[in-house]
Amino acid sequence: MNVNISRITQLGLGFIFPLLVSGFPYSTAFAAPVGQKIDNAKLKMTIKPRSANQMAAFYEGREFPLSAIQATRDACFFTVGIRNRLNDILWHDIKSWKIVSGEEESKPLTQDDWKRTWQQRGIEQRFQSTFRWTLLPDSRDLRPGEQQGGNITVPRSDKTFSLLASFDTGENRKGKTYTVRFNDLRCLEEPSQ
Amino acid sequence: MNRLVAGILFCFITLAVNAGQPSLPKGFISITPRPAPALSLKNLDDETFTLTHTNKRWAFVHFWASWCGPCRREMPSIEAISKQAGTLNMDFFIINTAESEDVVFSFLGSVAPDVNSLLDLDGLVTEKWQPRGLPSTYIVDPSGQIRYVVLGGQDWHRPEYHSFLLKLGNDPL
Repeated sequence: MNVNISRITQLGLGFIFPLLVSGFPYSTAFAAPVGQKIDNAKLKMTIKPRSANQMAAFYEGREFPLSAIQATRDACFFTVGIRNRLNDILWHDIKSWKIVSGEEESKPLTQDDWKRTWQQRGIEQRFQSTFRWTLLPDSRDLRPGEQQGGNITVPRSDKTFSLLASFDTGENRKGKTYTVRFNDLRCLEEPSQ
Repeated sequence: MNRLVAGILFCFITLAVNAGQPSLPKGFISITPRPAPALSLKNLDDETFTLTHTNKRWAFVHFWASWCGPCRREMPSIEAISKQAGTLNMDFFIINTAESEDVVFSFLGSVAPDVNSLLDLDGLVTEKWQPRGLPSTYIVDPSGQIRYVVLGGQDWHRPEYHSFLLKLGNDPL
């Protein structure tokens, strides 16, 4: 039987909290970037939106070419952290995650999606490699207590959406599957000039 | 009674087996041995270093990048332990992942000037090794099998790392 952790969070074991953004020049005309967290006996997962300028600054600092920077601006970035709290292996596989906005359902962009983008734009391998390191791995087995962090990306949109992230368990992924749900996510707007 | 004797015997056998294996320092994970991917890279002086199984030595293979916070904090202790390669009887391969020579040169110049870092300029060697994150360290035995993985940044200054590596380096397998 699958246990839906989003139901557990509705019972009050999880909570949403605003992340402090002191020192970052956000305008009051836009909502401050709000992170969300789910923390229970199975796993801890955080998600925090990043603005296009934040990401561009990071990649520009690593000498990424303009064409690559522009491609990053076409996507929304969310920094995700996951910690396995089980005494069992916890698997994440973003190909099984869902982005739900109204009646529309899609999936986060994968490393293969980005590889196609880089190849179409003729981006050097070293930039592809560095970019890959900034993403959450598409799939990973997390040992008990192990944590993993990185960005997930979705095509840019002005709609709010929910993320349904499911996790298999067990050595051969044949244990229970847990699903967590984050609601009211949106791409982070840039501050007004 | 027989169960009690069997239990005591089991404990003795377990102790005897474990006595031959050093306890693992923090961050070390013993893995099922698997072949280390090929590795041949140049350093900042354009000298080529190749991981081979013919020199009968253990190897310390470490992946890092300047943008990785734990890598920055760890690098001075990596520098210190790598200077003891001779004593440890171990080869060190400290590999920068997908950054330019200029970035590596300026970073190491200010943080760990004596580190002989190799340059995986396109990141493809790193991809073959599939580290779970940066920094990552692999301990490879003299027959070319990865035996231990070390996840995350460690304080290699600590004596338990030195004594563990010293014991490995002087273990002919």
